Amino acid sequence: MTLFSQAFRRVGSAKVDPVLVALWISLILLALIWITPFVFIVFTALKSNATVMGASAFMPPTELAFENFAAAWRRGNFSTTAFNGVVITVIKVPLGLFISAMAAYALAKVPMRMNKALFALFLFGTMLPFQVMLAPIFRQVNAFGLINTYPGIILPYLAFGIPYQVFILYGFFSAVPKELSEAARIDGASHFTIFRRIFLPISLPVLSALLILDFVATWNEFAMALVILQDPKMWTLPLGLMSFQSQFSSDYGELNAAIIMTVLPAALVYLMFQRYFVAGLTSGAVKE
Amino acid sequence: MPQASQSARPERQGYVLLAPALIVYLLFAVYPMIDVIRMSFSSWNGLSPEARFVGLANYRAIVTQDPVFWGALRNTIWWTALAVILPNLISFGLALALNQNIPGKSSLRVVFYLPVIIASIAVATIWKWMYDPFFGLFNNLLMQMGLDGWILDWLGDRKVALWSVFVAHVWQSVGFSMVLFLAGLQGVSATLVEAARIDGAGRWGVFRYVTLPALKPTMMVVFVLSLINSLKAFDIVYGMTGGGPAQSTQMLAMWAYTQSMQLGVFGRGAAVSVVLLLITLVIVLPYIRWMFRREEMAR
Repeated sequence: MTLFSQAFRRVGSAKVDPVLVALWISLILLALIWITPFVFIVFTALKSNATVMGASAFMPPTELAFENFAAAWRRGNFSTTAFNGVVITVIKVPLGLFISAMAAYALAKVPMRMNKALFALFLFGTMLPFQVMLAPIFRQVNAFGLINTYPGIILPYLAFGIPYQVFILYGFFSAVPKELSEAARIDGASHFTIFRRIFLPISLPVLSALLILDFVATWNEFAMALVILQDPKMWTLPLGLMSFQSQFSSDYGELNAAIIMTVLPAALVYLMFQRYFVAGLTSGAVKE
Repeated sequence: MPQASQSARPERQGYVLLAPALIVYLLFAVYPMIDVIRMSFSSWNGLSPEARFVGLANYRAIVTQDPVFWGALRNTIWWTALAVILPNLISFGLALALNQNIPGKSSLRVVFYLPVIIASIAVATIWKWMYDPFFGLFNNLLMQMGLDGWILDWLGDRKVALWSVFVAHVWQSVGFSMVLFLAGLQGVSATLVEAARIDGAGRWGVFRYVTLPALKPTMMVVFVLSLINSLKAFDIVYGMTGGGPAQSTQMLAMWAYTQSMQLGVFGRGAAVSVVLLLITLVIVLPYIRWMFRREEMAR
């Protein structure tokens, strides 16, 4: 019970605080409610359709129907949608971070006449909801002839990801002491060199936090993909799941297997890189 | 090297570094916003080469002829008002609790945050299955508890469908604000809390006079972010009900999409978008000014 020997006590007190114990119990109960959907999904994914319809929803599966996963993978075209998701994410996320970092460096460290106005323009973009203007985004991508192509989805993803990343990185770069870059400037280094040699390396922790955050956001994005990727061959996982849901909604086991396969990559990434999530979310949003 | 070019060159380098991000942002985010405003004054079916200028006709149409617009507006307002209050109260409570000296804090945090990183469309699919009238979790549960009278077609009944979707939204969004609140709580000065205790402040006193004031900036951030998140509610509604039954869960963002992309009346869809954009801007502009000032002061 070493875990509990220090817990439940207020700072500077040796007595167990009953209020904290009650609080803890209610937290555990709420957490149980919170994970119930996951348990239900996993149970159903491992049941055959006959079991789903015959037995109670809370019974754990007796004969594990792993074939649901193989069947859902095939019927849901997961090899296509997963491949598209990987291509789009692997190109968009690093590219977006790189150009955002360049822009943030320029705004924070290069004296320019338009600095303030340009920063305000990017700041405005952090609050611009693209779900509101799906049709004009479609029109614009269509004008470039890029509907149903990788660049067609990557470019708007970049456009709506840049403002937030610029904002976070701008805050980070602004806090870097002047001496660091000015010494290099006096030695004759260009801004390109300073950015690449000094600022990019020191911002690696922030960049990795943003990378993880952006990976999950890009992997999960639905609305924009819905209007731009209309050809099933170009679909990403969320689009595939949506179509699976409407076509095979009564194949309960397979539907739930499809949900798990869609959700798993992002969930694993989160479980592995938890602490970066908090860092990425809060590095710019909540500071003193 | 002449003096003039030396002062001009760094600035040019700055613009070169800035250009890729700025161009992509202007072309695919700022231009569509301008385009949607222009489109809202035109008539276009998505096929004809030219859009026709029609003045305020689209706005007049959505306000007077469109049977769905007012319902969608009402749903959006209700949804937003509740989404700003309810999940955030839970998040705040969770953050306060998880900031205490109790065991298993990090596992609990993972449990509450996990729904946040799941694709909204998957959340929609999960909950649609739980609401399944015959084999879903809820009706199974009610049946086992002998509450057969409470059994409902959660997503098929016009009176409850919107709130069924909202419950799924709460489940998904609580973790996000919780993390922001937790980060805010890290910033509450421990010495100040200690000092208040020594001065005889109880649990409530510390909370009221130390913790709460220190969390003001965090609350502002949470408020605005959840406001914007709920104004643009799209995926979860699309995935769970598609706006039905009988348009009872329709929201402005999705109605704009439906009109333009599915019914082919781009002008009216654009007018709905502009209404929603205006609502967003009215809320967001003061906030952006506040953020801008803070950045300025930080420099």
